[in-house]
Amino acid sequence: MLESLYSTWIVPAAFAGVAWGILGGALPGISPSITMALLLPLTYGMDPTVAIVMLASTYVGAEYGGSIPAILIRTPGTNAAAATVVDGYAMKQQGRAGEALGISLYSGFVGGLFGLFVLVMLAEPLSNVALAFTPQAYFALGVLGLSVIASLSRESLIKGLMAGVLGLMISTIGTDPVTGLNRFTFESPELLSGIPPILVMVGLFAIGEMLAQTGEAGLQAVPERPRIRFPGPAMWRRIALPQAIGSVIGTFEGVMPGGGGAVSSFLAYNEARRWSRRKDEFGTGSPEGIAAPEAANNTVACTALVPMLSLGIPSSNSAAVLLGGFLLHGLLPGPMLFVQNPEVVDGLFLGLLIANIAMVIVGYLIMGPCIWLVSRPKPYLMAFIYALVVSGVFAIETSLFQVGVALGFGVLGYLMRHVGVPLLPMVLGVVLGFMVESNYRRALVLSDGDYMIFMQDRLSAALLGFALVFIVGSLFRHAVDARRGNAVGSS
Amino acid sequence: MLALAIGYYLLAAQIPESQLADAVGPQGLPRIYAYVLGSLSLVLIARALRASSAEPISPPRSGRLQPALPGPPQDGHYVQEENAPEPGQSPEPRGHSQVLRAFGVIVIGAVYIVTVPWLGYLVSLAALIAATTYYQGGGLNRRVAIVSVSGALLFWLLFVAILGIQHPAGFWPSLF
Repeated sequence: MLESLYSTWIVPAAFAGVAWGILGGALPGISPSITMALLLPLTYGMDPTVAIVMLASTYVGAEYGGSIPAILIRTPGTNAAAATVVDGYAMKQQGRAGEALGISLYSGFVGGLFGLFVLVMLAEPLSNVALAFTPQAYFALGVLGLSVIASLSRESLIKGLMAGVLGLMISTIGTDPVTGLNRFTFESPELLSGIPPILVMVGLFAIGEMLAQTGEAGLQAVPERPRIRFPGPAMWRRIALPQAIGSVIGTFEGVMPGGGGAVSSFLAYNEARRWSRRKDEFGTGSPEGIAAPEAANNTVACTALVPMLSLGIPSSNSAAVLLGGFLLHGLLPGPMLFVQNPEVVDGLFLGLLIANIAMVIVGYLIMGPCIWLVSRPKPYLMAFIYALVVSGVFAIETSLFQVGVALGFGVLGYLMRHVGVPLLPMVLGVVLGFMVESNYRRALVLSDGDYMIFMQDRLSAALLGFALVFIVGSLFRHAVDARRGNAVGSS
Repeated sequence: MLALAIGYYLLAAQIPESQLADAVGPQGLPRIYAYVLGSLSLVLIARALRASSAEPISPPRSGRLQPALPGPPQDGHYVQEENAPEPGQSPEPRGHSQVLRAFGVIVIGAVYIVTVPWLGYLVSLAALIAATTYYQGGGLNRRVAIVSVSGALLFWLLFVAILGIQHPAGFWPSLF
């Protein structure tokens, strides 16, 4: 593993990714997934390990970056930093902004290291069944991944399913995996190899969000430039429990589909308050109220990679974009990744370790540029993001057609936001569609059309069973939520 | 969505059969996807019709729990933020004028795609930055011009000079 440290650009990639992530995360409205999507095309020419480390480090940095405007201007840079606003801004009003930022940074570091430990412990054992994977098992794995849609569609199950099917339909564009016939290509040579998932992600997340923010007011300028003050031993002891709470909650939420940093940070805040001896201080500038959510969302940045790396199933937008990074470099996350590309996995683990250390160093040094960037007029920021998107997408295959496709998906992403259709199910459909179709058909070729092959293979049957349990559980939860909603409505 | 499902089904039906085809065939799953999307669309349409015929009582909407802003939570509790988007999910619906305004950004991008082979990367990108800045309310003045040109130079340095990506040069090389 250490060899990769010396032989590649992992260290500078981790530092650069963290810096980019902090800057992106500090911009309200630019989520970690958008920050990663903007970087994705730039990594095209890089060594795969370096590119993946840079993207994963961006995720780590963005989770901390979101707390900067949360503390300084009461505006969370990311959804996950919303819980930090409460006590972070209260501390800032008391003239303790530097201390609040230091606690956020230190807690993010602790949470990140814990998350990395969990990732290393869980990812490889989960993937140890790699050699047992047959086409029917891969199909079942894809179905398990798609079953996640049921839990991701909180607002409307129907809309989530529609988005998922749309993604599956997009995945059928291009050459048929079995017969080699062209499907939905409209005789366009650019569509023969299908639509790369990266274009879908950049369009849906980055361009769609840019369109959504068009016409919205800019941000207030940051009035001061505080100096980060790291906590001393007394404060370490005080925030150790909320950090532990945040790390444990972040672990569970990270591996759960749809959990994500925002949910985990609010849960962590609530639990930290419940277990605190100084409950009354929460909401008035409690360091514990910053430590718990920040530890939680940085834990998620690592644990969200467990299902993505070991099973190839992204559980959040950011994990989906990272999956796009793997695909862009010809790597297929999932069971075989640990067998075929162990150097990438080792490099990623090492890179995440460096990224968490880099977060402390870069986070301290980058405060000035961060505040400068957050204070820029919004029209300039939007223009530069747009320039980055069109330049970056062109760079993937030097194709203006692809820039047009990304813009098209931007419109689609905007419309989906407009009518309340979640984005991630569609990304899941695009990413998993090919795997589902090609392995489904291969399995049936092997069995001469006998569908029992999916039940006869133990792994396939188990995965399909899990998918069924997952779907039934999600439907049950939807039904309970709907019943509660009706009860509240009638009362 | 229903129209899309029908259109997709018709296109799927036009995929020719192959002698190499398996039991499912290249049309198999696309047809299933079209059926599913069509069925879901019909359910959504039926729901919308039922909702429009019912009394205009707005149903309770789910939102994420969020501390009350701008102040701290009362007694450490959260308030329900109506219509708050989940991470990666939809924000509140907007008016038609805002939708049209958003599409103006796409028009700028489309103009860039059309002009970049002719005007070249540097000039087109400077124009894109200036147009977007203006469109987003940044005005059109000397500062915008300077930022646009220096921004385009910065991107040219990054993508063309450092990363070695051959963006379109336009007609400029033919002049020299």
